[in-house]
Parts: sequence; structure tokens; C-alpha cells
Amino acid sequence: MCDFGELGAWLCAEGTWTGQYGLGNLLVEHLLLSVVALLVAALIAIPLGIYIGHTGRGSFLVIGLGSLSRAIPTMGLLFALVLLLGVQFRELSVVLALALIALPPLIAGAYSGVTTIAPGIRDSATAQGMTTWQLVRHVELPLASPSLIGGFRIAFIQVVSTVVLAPLVGLGGLGFGIIQGLALRNFVQVTVSAVVIIVITIAGEQLIGLGQRRAEARLVAPKRLEKP
Amino acid sequence: MKLTRITAIALSIGAVLGVAGCATASTPSAEPIVIGSQAYYSNEIIAETYAQVLEDAGYTVDRQFSLGQRDVYVPALEAGEIDLFPEYTGNLLQFFVPDATQTAADDVYAALAKSLPAGLTALAMSPATDQDSYNVTKEFASKNNLESIADLAKVDGLILGGAPELAERPYGPTGLLEKYGVTVSFQATGDTTVDSLVAGIVNMANVYSADPRIQQLELVTLSDPKGLFLASNVVPIASDKVTADARKLIDAVSAAMSAQDLVALNVRSVDEKLSAAVIAREWLVSEGFIK
Repeated sequence: MCDFGELGAWLCAEGTWTGQYGLGNLLVEHLLLSVVALLVAALIAIPLGIYIGHTGRGSFLVIGLGSLSRAIPTMGLLFALVLLLGVQFRELSVVLALALIALPPLIAGAYSGVTTIAPGIRDSATAQGMTTWQLVRHVELPLASPSLIGGFRIAFIQVVSTVVLAPLVGLGGLGFGIIQGLALRNFVQVTVSAVVIIVITIAGEQLIGLGQRRAEARLVAPKRLEKP
Repeated sequence: MKLTRITAIALSIGAVLGVAGCATASTPSAEPIVIGSQAYYSNEIIAETYAQVLEDAGYTVDRQFSLGQRDVYVPALEAGEIDLFPEYTGNLLQFFVPDATQTAADDVYAALAKSLPAGLTALAMSPATDQDSYNVTKEFASKNNLESIADLAKVDGLILGGAPELAERPYGPTGLLEKYGVTVSFQATGDTTVDSLVAGIVNMANVYSADPRIQQLELVTLSDPKGLFLASNVVPIASDKVTADARKLIDAVSAAMSAQDLVALNVRSVDEKLSAAVIAREWLVSEGFIK
């Protein structure tokens, strides 16, 4: 395989797979940064989205944040955060910058999931004597889950494809292969890194999509029982 | 409101047509000298000195500055779309001959002159350099008694910071070990290299020798007695369209610009936030090129 032109030579070269800047470690760092950023964003976005959907208060936030996130250049934000927090906190800066782009789709997903629940369902839950917490926990959250997971799906794609910027501030991730490769004019390395990023983006998106369809199917199931 | 917008559109269409017209209709003698520069403030200042000296001598100049990095502008130079470009001997040689072994200034210049594509000439190189160099903080240097890269051999736990590509460069970790017996681990610090050095994330860093922050942050540049780094002097690359008279003017500018001058020009850009045109003009006046 090593004889297979430039690609083979690169794939067999020392340091391509192992070591701090090997593909294996870069992949782990890439996913770790993405997942941490998504978790931070989810911790803020999901309660906030459900609160806005449940109370109807502050729904302007959903639209406002959505447009705002498209207006903020992530790279500029990342450098600004590193300058502001200091280079010692560059991991935090990357996570914050990524979390900020993940917030709007997550909030929108949670919010629209809750607001689109038929009022009758909510009323009957209240009529049964459910407390607000029970209503949120047992009715709104399950019914909103497909839309919520849908928001997560968009956030994942955006975050995973933006972590590529992390090497600019001295962190790893698969963007390293692209940024280093461009400077060294090693286009095999650039292409392979890009392909790996595309593959994990599509694979992750499909996986979350599967979760979304499962959540939908679970909600439809009781209807089937009524039919026979 | 509407009228101004239409006027603006009409003007921009006119401008586009005008530019296209110039490219085809003008006679060779009246054709402007197209001067390019990298998307790097220091390079733009140098390009501006060329432009102003030529303008002062009555040449028409077309400034095409901030053209990005070599991958972008070298093809344009080769195609004859740019006539004059401030470059750096070592880095440009490495671009054309990736496995070049020369490191001393004169050798690099000679090798570059030979490897340039047809139609391009390297004019006389300047004593001003902007090249890779290894730097440590003042405290680290005095604590470990460091003056040259060779002194690093007795220091343990060295972490070298630099752009991601440094890992693979001949003067990177491999070269340090082979030439000086210095063992380092590498940390890609990207655009945060100097900050990382000051913050102690790395204890030696690759910084361009004309970087004003070396002065501002009192960094110590380690000397390179064995020629690990490729010398990279400022060198104007000219196309055949640049006449012998114009070349003489540019050569004089190159000769007058010392390494300290270049650092001082960069410091003015970073500290005083002056435009390249103003910095270049004041330097040319102080050197007696223009009044």
C-alpha cells in the first residue's frame, strides 16, 4: 500500500497515525472539543428553550439569537476570547466560541418543540393535577424531544466543522492536518484530514438523525394501539 | 437615495470596464509598473517604499497589495500580472526548491537567482532580514545562561512553540537535534506563539526576526552559529518590464534598508498604527530618497 503514490507514502509515514499530532490523537481531540462545547451549550440552551416555550416569555430571544449567531464571525470571536481570557485559557476560549454557535439551533429546537404541542394535551395534563414540573418533565419534554434532537443535529454539524479553527490558537483537532498541510503544501495530508472531518460530520449527523426518528416513532406508537 | 445607489452601480461598472480597457489598450511605455505585496504589514511597507521611489522618479505605479501568501501571488508573478514584489530570499528559495540545503545569505541568494522561473529576476538583496529565529524570554535566558542555540543542549524539558508546519521544517525539532544536539518537544501554538512563550506554555518560540514584539517584550533571540536557519534577506523580485533605470532606484532602496531599519518600521506600524504609505514616506525622506 505504501507504494501507492503520494497518498500511500503519506499514510505509511512516521507520525501520520500516532503521536501528539497523529491522526488518532487529532481525531480524539476534535471529538472531545466538539462534545464538550455541545454539552456546555445544551446545559444552557435546553432549559432556556423549554422555559421560553413553556411560558411564552422572551420568544424574541429565539429569533434574535438565531440571527445574531449568523452575524458573529466565529474566528474573530475565538481570537477575541483568547486575547480576553489569556492564552492559558485557550481550551475554554474554543469551547465558549463553539458553544455560542451551538446555542441558537439548540434553543430553537427546544422552543419550537414545546410551542407546537397541542394546547389540549397541556390542558388535560394540568386537569389531571400535574404540577408545572411534572408537566414539563412527563409531557412537554418527551413531546418536544424530536424537535430538540433536530436542533442538536444542526448544532453538531456546525460545531464539528468549526473546531477546524482550533489549531489557529494552538490546540489540536483535525484542522491541524489542514493548516499544517497547507503551509507545507502537502495536499495529500490536507485532503485526508478534510475527508475524515466530512466522514465524522456525516456519520454523527446520521446517528443523531436515527435518534430523532426513534424519538418520533416512540410518540406515534400509542396511536397504533388505538387502531386495530 | 435610489439615485445614489444607481450612480454607485454605474460607477463601479465604469470602473470595471475602465480597468479592463487599460489592460488591453495602453501602449507599453505608459503601462504602469504593477507592485504587489503579501498580506503582511511589514511586506506592504517595503512594497510602499518601492512604489514611492518609482513614483517620485516619474513612473506610473499600480499598487496590488495584500495578495495573500505565496501560493496565491507567485502564479500571478509568473504570469506577468505583477512586475515587482518584495520577497525574502530563504523563504522564496524554499518555495521553489523545497529541499534546498543552502543556509548562508549569499549562498541562498545565488541559489534563488538560479531557481527563479524565466522572466523573473532577483534584484540586489537588502541587508534587512525577516527570517525564522528562536527566542526565549529574558528570565529564561538569564536563568539558563543562554546566548546561542548551542547553549540549549544543557537545558532539559524544552518545549518549542511555533506554527504547525514547524514540526516538519528542516530547522524544526529534527534540525535542532542534528545540528546542535538539542532535544525539544514540539507544541503547535499557531498565531498565539509569542503569547504562549510569555505565558510559559512553551519556553522557546519561533518568531520572525523583524517582529516588533521581540523588542517590546524583551525577548532574547538566540544566535545561530551553525546556520540552522535559512537566511532570509529582503529581495525585490522583478519582471522584465522593470527597466534598468527603475532597477537602479530599487537597488538603492534595498541597500539603504538595514535590519534595524526594518524592525523600526514594523514597530511604527504596530505601535503608532500608521499606514504603510506614511511609514514608507517618512523613512524615504529620512534616507534622502525623496523630499
